[in-house]
Amino acid sequence: MAIARAPHAAGEAPRDAAPAAGLNSVHLTLEALEKRYGNLPPSVSALSLQLRQGELLGLLGPSGCGKTTTLRMISGLVPVTAGRILVAGRDVTALPPYRRDMGVVFQAYALFPHMTVAENVAFGLEMRKVSRTEAKERVMRALGMVRLEALADRKPRELSGGQQQRVALARALVIEPSILLLDEPLSNLDAKLRDEMRNEIRDIQQRLGITAVFVTHDQVEAMAICDRIGVMRAGRLEQIATPLEMYERPTTPFVADFVGRMNHLRGTRLEGGGVRVGEAVLATAGTSPAGEALLLMVRPHRIQMTPAATAQPEAAGRNVQPGTVRRVTFVGDALHYEVAMGAETMLVESSTVSGPQSFAVGDAVFLAWSPDDTLTFPAGTEA
Amino acid sequence: MSAALLTRPRADWRGGTVLMALLAPILLVNVLTFLAPVINLAMLSFRGSGPGGSIQEGLTTATWTSLLTDSFYWEILLGTVWTSLLITFLTLLCSYPVALWVSRLGARWRNLMMVVCISPLLVSAVVRTYGWMILLGDQGFVPGVIRAMGMTPPRLLFNETGVIIGLTEILMPYMILSLLAGFGKLDRTLEDAAGTLGARPFTVFRRIVLPLSLPGLLLGCLLTFVLAVSSFITPKLLGGGRVVLLATEIYDQAIVTLNWPLASALSILVLVVFGAALAVYGQLSKLVD
Amino acid sequence: MNTLSLPRIAYGVLVALLLVFLLAPVLLVFPISFSADNFIAWPPSGWSPRWYVALARESELLLAFRNSVVLGLVVTVLSLAIALPAAVMLVRKEFPGRDILFSVFTAPLLLPSIVLGLAILIVFVGRGLVGSWFGMVLAHLTLTLPYALRVLATGLKTLPPAVEDAAGTLGARPFTVFRRVTLPLMAPALIAAGALSFLVSFDEVVISLFIVGPQLKVLPVSLYHYVESRTDPLVASASAVLILVTLLLVIVVERAVGLRKAVGGGG
Ligand SMILES: Nc1ncnc2c1ncn2[C@@H]1O[C@H](COP(=O)(O)OP(=O)(O)OP(=O)(O)O)[C@@H](O)[C@H]1O
Ligand SMILES: [Mg+2]
Repeated sequence: MAIARAPHAAGEAPRDAAPAAGLNSVHLTLEALEKRYGNLPPSVSALSLQLRQGELLGLLGPSGCGKTTTLRMISGLVPVTAGRILVAGRDVTALPPYRRDMGVVFQAYALFPHMTVAENVAFGLEMRKVSRTEAKERVMRALGMVRLEALADRKPRELSGGQQQRVALARALVIEPSILLLDEPLSNLDAKLRDEMRNEIRDIQQRLGITAVFVTHDQVEAMAICDRIGVMRAGRLEQIATPLEMYERPTTPFVADFVGRMNHLRGTRLEGGGVRVGEAVLATAGTSPAGEALLLMVRPHRIQMTPAATAQPEAAGRNVQPGTVRRVTFVGDALHYEVAMGAETMLVESSTVSGPQSFAVGDAVFLAWSPDDTLTFPAGTEA
Repeated sequence: MSAALLTRPRADWRGGTVLMALLAPILLVNVLTFLAPVINLAMLSFRGSGPGGSIQEGLTTATWTSLLTDSFYWEILLGTVWTSLLITFLTLLCSYPVALWVSRLGARWRNLMMVVCISPLLVSAVVRTYGWMILLGDQGFVPGVIRAMGMTPPRLLFNETGVIIGLTEILMPYMILSLLAGFGKLDRTLEDAAGTLGARPFTVFRRIVLPLSLPGLLLGCLLTFVLAVSSFITPKLLGGGRVVLLATEIYDQAIVTLNWPLASALSILVLVVFGAALAVYGQLSKLVD
Repeated sequence: MNTLSLPRIAYGVLVALLLVFLLAPVLLVFPISFSADNFIAWPPSGWSPRWYVALARESELLLAFRNSVVLGLVVTVLSLAIALPAAVMLVRKEFPGRDILFSVFTAPLLLPSIVLGLAILIVFVGRGLVGSWFGMVLAHLTLTLPYALRVLATGLKTLPPAVEDAAGTLGARPFTVFRRVTLPLMAPALIAAGALSFLVSFDEVVISLFIVGPQLKVLPVSLYHYVESRTDPLVASASAVLILVTLLLVIVVERAVGLRKAVGGGG
């Protein structure tokens, strides 16, 4: 499918493009945005970020953290309490929604119940005074994109939740907005359709060079298609980074927990640089003053597990600890082991394809991981 | 886009002037024919009335004094309250079985019967009252039936009996509606649960159904009482001028005697009765909760 | 519990009797309207359509009927025109005193009509509004606006979420949003509010009784005066006609609202 795009916005934004290149100029800027409803504590505060032209930002965070509110401020549906919104360097903070040229996919779809699917999708084009014949063609193309051509004449209430969601997507895309705001656009689709649609969204967004914000609860989804990810917590942007960086180098325990599973270990820094956790002394990459209470985090799939019967694995600066398998869970493409390690319980994940070795409950094992894979946070910074 | 467009959204929903402009008409009607007249009415009760419906200058409590010291008006007030209470009780008695029955029907029949029960509301009070004149008149339906049974019918029309019968029927739809709203919260499975625990039907009713339907019942009683106190057409026509209630007295003072200060004071009295009913209702609802 | 026990039968009979009691005065109007007698008597000594013929000749009642219809239509149109913008403002816009205003606008519903009628009469008399169309429309609006406002406000509040926002982000200006999205979705509420306004105005007796004049008579008041002075079956035939007209109106509304729902008007 080919959606024509105004020539000025052509150009793809490669996944890890270097910023500051001419083509990738800053497109959307949020400056210290704040939103308060009445006298309640702010729903969003001190939110600043910059998106390059054609960049896709994933917005993650627990329910009620202010994701929808952020999108509503960007689209002009709620006035900001403080801060500025700039599009291509122009201040749009005071513009009403109908002048912002932003496509929005609403969390609750918000389809017009009195119009057919085709009429819903055509509405934005009609507002832009696109000729009937062109509108018709573009509507059908957009519906094709979301695989709904066959249902063009249905009313929204004759569609399933997932179909409605796709109509909402088509309606937002057909106007070829310069900025696309998606509020959990895939939450009601089955796993297969979800993967398909997310790649479709990524495709279109890249091809048309649309700058987009994609709110989701699914970190895998965000990792898969986003150029950068922002994690929000209680109205604040906790961290914004590329998916890889976010995964490998989260700046807070909250973010670390949010983007994937984590083992938590509590310990105290020793004089020599190691960290005492229970009986064991573990090596970490960074340093900190002796005596400080620390929270160590290790990703389950970064832990290597070997049978205790064989020789202790080569240390080479790695942390090696004995343990006992307590529980095994098969989750399709991986095995999850719960391993008792001293007083702690560690989660270990091993791929069912790469690991020839499989373990049973009660097996004595060695757990090994690199100090580089150990994240260190001062205790008390978690949730 | 020009710079001017970037400043503020144009006066759309957000504009204060638009707000005023759109609310002005309803405000105007409200002030002209509700607020101002009612305030005026309250003030008028503190003026004296002269011959031929004239109103005297200067404020006085004379109207209120004569009203509150005249046993005639006390009798009307107490009579109205008593009659209204009786009507409320009878309306409840007649409505409860019907509402309970309707609430037990399947969804389809329930909706249909609900419409049937409230359909009399769509018919003008004059027409319904006229219907009662056909039923209760000396040559009417009910006396006819009584005569056919070989008895002498009592006088049913143009006295208090007629007014009470007519108003009871006329107010039934309100009571049924309120009761049904209350029954909405009543879960049939609760009753069945009580039944399986060994409670006999009457016990189930007294211990489960009645307590749960009390809020709707109280609301229905408040509504019926208030409507009975302020009813005018039915007492006037079915009472044949022989039944004097607050509302009919207000009308007579206003239209026949042309004593507007007194009519105004009586109106305020009606509102006081309303307030008292509301207070009692509030207290009872608290007890029920 | 589903067996036919004696208490169950007794309960059924009781309910049936009460329903008869409830509906009798409305239903009995029909047979009496075909009475051949000069006065109300049951059973009538004979059957005849003579009272319908008499009704057709009763020019005063016919005029009052016409006045009532015209008044009802005018009041309905004005009620919708005034209540709709007010409802939009009161539901959509947040401003101090909003809830108080809403209560004040619906307060006339709480006032007994005998009190309201008297209050209006007193302020109308000095200004020559008694017996005038303007005064009558104004007084009826006092009664119909609270109903219309309530129904429309409820309609607005129960609109599907975010559809208006969605239209805005698609480029529709506020008025276009209102015309293309809000208004079509409000159709059932508008029809209900209109029908209610018409019925309230058409049936209103007490307030009209205070402010009718010799030049302007309305049907409920004329019927009231007729019943007060004479008891012949003429009013029965008039009542029968009125009941049928009301029934027709209700069916039309039900069809219209139901139809809107069928074609996806929401609500
Ligand atoms: N209109 C409103 N009035 C008052 N508070 C509001 C309003 N809208 C949102 N909030 C509050 O603002 C906070 C953020 O809400 P928001 O809808 O942005 O959360 P969210 O991150 O989108 O959550 P979810 O993932 O559940 O959709 C919440 O605490 C919510 O209660
Ligand atoms: Mg949300």
